[in-house]
Amino acid sequence: MDSTALSAVQNYSASRAATQPSKTPGDSMFGRMAMDFTQTLAQGEQVAQQSMTGDADPHALVQALAQTELAVETAVTVRNKVVEAYQEILRMPV
Amino acid sequence: MSDFSKALGVSASGLQAQATRLRHLSENISNADTPGYRRKTVPFRTEFDAGTDVSKVEVGRVSLDDGELERIFDPSHPMADETGYFEGSNVNLLIELADAREAQRSYEANLKMFEQARQMSSGLLQLLRR
Repeated sequence: MDSTALSAVQNYSASRAATQPSKTPGDSMFGRMAMDFTQTLAQGEQVAQQSMTGDADPHALVQALAQTELAVETAVTVRNKVVEAYQEILRMPV
Repeated sequence: MSDFSKALGVSASGLQAQATRLRHLSENISNADTPGYRRKTVPFRTEFDAGTDVSKVEVGRVSLDDGELERIFDPSHPMADETGYFEGSNVNLLIELADAREAQRSYEANLKMFEQARQMSSGLLQLLRR
């Protein structure tokens, strides 16, 4: 009996647990980063609305929009890198 | 919060403080001819935020300059006393204008720092793009 094929199947089933998604999405570092990002975005939007109605001063508006720009730029750059890495893996000859 | 966003926040607090200073200066200048007006002085103080560990600047309590009021001779003025004098304001336009110019320069310096923090952060992210 070929035992190497059997152990490959065993190894595969043992490592399947690692490919399961984790149950708590907000717990990981990436999840926290995403929460931070959405929080910055929401704050920028809120300050923009307030300054349109005359509640916030223009300095707060400029600061919030610059923070939002920084956050969006970071998120877009990281997303591009992640997608690039994913496509690199897809192109891998199996 | 990265150091860049903290720098943006500190610069914005500086801009805000200089804008408040300019507002009080223009109040002084527009009240230069008001009888009995005392010029306002604006103190700055450090506002330390322990949560984010940054030192912002904020405007403290506005105080009044208790210097000598200018005595103006005009017997026909309704507020003139028996000697014909009444008390004007103690605003010196020269001092106010010099202070306003200084506020402008500080504002520009803070704007420059804001711009630089933004440029540095986008320059850093530029490294990841090819």
